[in-house]
Amino acid sequence: MTALSQGDVPAASSPLLKTRGLLAMALAALLLGVAAPRLVSSQLMLSLATQAIFDALLATSVGFLVLQNGRVSFGQAAFFGLGGYAFGVLVARGLMAAELAVLTALALPTLVAFLLGLVFARIAGVAHAMLTLAVGQAFYEIAFRWRELAKGDDGMAFNLPPRIFGFDSSLLQDPSVMVVVAWTILVLALLGLALFANSRMGQIAAAVRDNAERARFIGHDTTIPPAIVYAISALLAAIAGLLQATYNGYIAPQMFHWSLSGSALIMAVVGGAQFILGPAIGAVCFFILKDFAGRFAEYWPAIVGSVLVIVTLVMPQGIVGLLKAGWFRMRRQA
Amino acid sequence: MAIQLLNGIVYGGLLYLLAVGLVLIFGLREVVNFAHGALFMLGSYIGFTLAAAGHWWLGLLVSVVAMAAVGCLLDVLVFRSLRKHDHIVTVLITFGLLLILETVVTVTWGKAYLSYPVPKLLDGTVTIAGSPFPIYRLFIIVVSLLVAGGLAAWLRYTRMGLYVRAASTNAHVTSIQGIDVDRLSLVVVGLGTALAGLSGVVAGPLLTLSPTMGNYILIDSFIVVVIGGLGSFAGAFFAALLIGQIHNLGAIYLPWAATMLPFLLMIGILIWRPTGFAGSRT
Amino acid sequence: MSEAIAIQGIGIERRYGGFRALKGVDITVRRGEIRGLIGPNGAGKSTLIDVLSGRVRGQPGQVLIDGRDVSRLKPQERRRLGLARSFQRTNIFPMLSVEQQLRIASWAVAEAGVEEVMEELNLTALARMPAAEISYGDQRRLDLALALVGRPSVLLLDEPAAGLTVEESHGLATILRDLANRWNVTVLLVEHDMQVVFSICDGITVLHLGETLAEGNVAEIRADQRVVTAYLGTEA
Ligand SMILES: Nc1ncnc2c1ncn2[C@@H]1O[C@H](COP(=O)(O)OP(=O)(O)O)[C@@H](O)[C@H]1O
Ligand SMILES: [Mg+2]
Repeated sequence: MTALSQGDVPAASSPLLKTRGLLAMALAALLLGVAAPRLVSSQLMLSLATQAIFDALLATSVGFLVLQNGRVSFGQAAFFGLGGYAFGVLVARGLMAAELAVLTALALPTLVAFLLGLVFARIAGVAHAMLTLAVGQAFYEIAFRWRELAKGDDGMAFNLPPRIFGFDSSLLQDPSVMVVVAWTILVLALLGLALFANSRMGQIAAAVRDNAERARFIGHDTTIPPAIVYAISALLAAIAGLLQATYNGYIAPQMFHWSLSGSALIMAVVGGAQFILGPAIGAVCFFILKDFAGRFAEYWPAIVGSVLVIVTLVMPQGIVGLLKAGWFRMRRQA
Repeated sequence: MAIQLLNGIVYGGLLYLLAVGLVLIFGLREVVNFAHGALFMLGSYIGFTLAAAGHWWLGLLVSVVAMAAVGCLLDVLVFRSLRKHDHIVTVLITFGLLLILETVVTVTWGKAYLSYPVPKLLDGTVTIAGSPFPIYRLFIIVVSLLVAGGLAAWLRYTRMGLYVRAASTNAHVTSIQGIDVDRLSLVVVGLGTALAGLSGVVAGPLLTLSPTMGNYILIDSFIVVVIGGLGSFAGAFFAALLIGQIHNLGAIYLPWAATMLPFLLMIGILIWRPTGFAGSRT
Repeated sequence: MSEAIAIQGIGIERRYGGFRALKGVDITVRRGEIRGLIGPNGAGKSTLIDVLSGRVRGQPGQVLIDGRDVSRLKPQERRRLGLARSFQRTNIFPMLSVEQQLRIASWAVAEAGVEEVMEELNLTALARMPAAEISYGDQRRLDLALALVGRPSVLLLDEPAAGLTVEESHGLATILRDLANRWNVTVLLVEHDMQVVFSICDGITVLHLGETLAEGNVAEIRADQRVVTAYLGTEA
């Protein structure tokens, strides 16, 4: 059974999202992204937005695991960190071409997650939360103590090679460029997830999440589909980590820390982890809220905590769930 | 060497005080309390305020009572009202509480590191195997042993203890047998958080106080709970001693193993026996 | 043709700790036969179905489908060989819609036949409902439908009518007999309603304390004194 889902139809089974509508939405979102730097002049704002998009990617990755596998992870930062570290370390040491480093930084966490997923998918609920927490912290401890790898807890700054994939790499550290790159990737990722959820593999994974035993008795293998979901989810986290490391030119053990996993999980839950768009919307809401709460920055963790408590108690389906319910009510009245 | 062993026991004792609180709460509510480390930290700060004013022992008392009260509130407001929900929802809420408590402490006491005084009565050192050893550390060992002994006696010889053991093994059976799980849980959760307050105060002089001081030890006590056999009181005791020793001896002789071994043990046990956690019983 | 064996269990054992739930049970069901499996609660009927369907493996005994030894195969592999089962305790996908879960089931075996199964089991009107939100009786039929997708050659049904009203369970029995005949499915049916068993089964196996107490056609079983004492009682 899914952890955070009482009642309501899961997004995976909803025929609402027709492929053509999806593509149209994605296209509109992409155009909006390209236009954004021309509409917003404040560099600070763009920089904050860029960070928010990284958060949205990580939150989406955590949420996807809840949506498709029904598993709550407290260790998703492990793959975020792994993506960032793999790239940073490889580039800083000049071990391989930057392009190859990018591929490695994405492939390694994906592969690790797939292998872990073969085992972890069998473990549910609180045990899964503890397990992922332990794995994430183990990675954190390695990054923290292994000084020769990337200067341990000091973190390590590194220079990008002048060109990556033929583009001037300094552009990637310019917020008005990175915001478009990150946004484009986020939109494409969400589109990809929606397509996966509607694919056979995605639906079989949803069936396994719902009732793994019965899935076996209707003839499906129940280890590979959830492991693929782990892999996809880790790939997203790795993309986020890679982007952040590239943008900042800096990696540090905090990229693995459970407080980062936890905050991504909170964004996902608040946005609505049963919906593909939910976690990203949660991340955006926190971004806006943080802007408003500027004066109360001191209280920020408490605000996050309170929002989480209130949302889980009052609207367990999250913001998107609430919007959806409101939308249906409005349509019924009209 | 003897001193090192003793230091391991000191840390193990502190871990035990925290872990056993987690075990108590887990036994009744089938929830892992992520806010436990924050309660440890809050207890420490409350005790510190009085200790800094010269009332060390009063600080201990007030902290324990205050944390017991917080625990009762936690049980009534969160655990009881959410008992029909999936346990992972409750776990998330305790995670939210952790953030709230950290902020409360940051705002009240600031972020600066504070150092907790040692009570006059326990100041100084004794000589053990030819080396000096702080009396205060012996005090920590004594406190954890007293708690362990008292708890064991309570569980074994009182009616309530019997119920707690029954409920920890199987909450359904207990509620069928007509035991008021809610009343029992109020006491047990209160006791668990009171122990978090106690360990916060007792650990104070050993650590420096900061709003995130609970995080590190929380993870270690999670490890203890899992290695101890997911809900076993005796298991938590021995696991705490084990982790205490690994932590201290390992840090000196095998730093790599000391860091990774507890995690690997925890991961291995969770994979081998996930059913120890209620979340996977469904 | 009627001599061909569809499913066979040989010397099936099952222990729970020291307790022997099945003590070397042999069972043979011919192709096209509807075989009743009856016996008091705790006799080991569900356990036998579990062994035949692969839910539990690795204890003494052999399971053969169409003469092929499948003892080591996992449930999903047996399902793809045409062995399907339903469950005594409703075992469906609560969050998925009726149609979606039947469609997912069809992918493993046949690709088609979802509409047909929904039609036969009166689920068409509920196609878009999440399974958690349909009535208990509908859920029982969905459980059965999940087994029927792709026209399996052997069906193991563990009290498909459990918890249904008398009318509902007789309606289900009619559907079952009709389908079994038309699709030529071999059925092993665990059922407590003797009226149902006697009316639709070709043969009956009686389990008692993990052993086969008797086996035969309806008339033989009704007349068997040991069966009457152990299970049927006087009212049958
Ligand atoms: N998981 C289990 N653990 C221990 N004993 C079991 C288990 N499942 C079934 N049994 C025992 O095996 C025997 C047969 O059970 P079962 O096959 O369910 O009987 P039936 O379906 O005929 O009512 C019963 O005595 C039951 O208590
Ligand atoms: Mg049965």
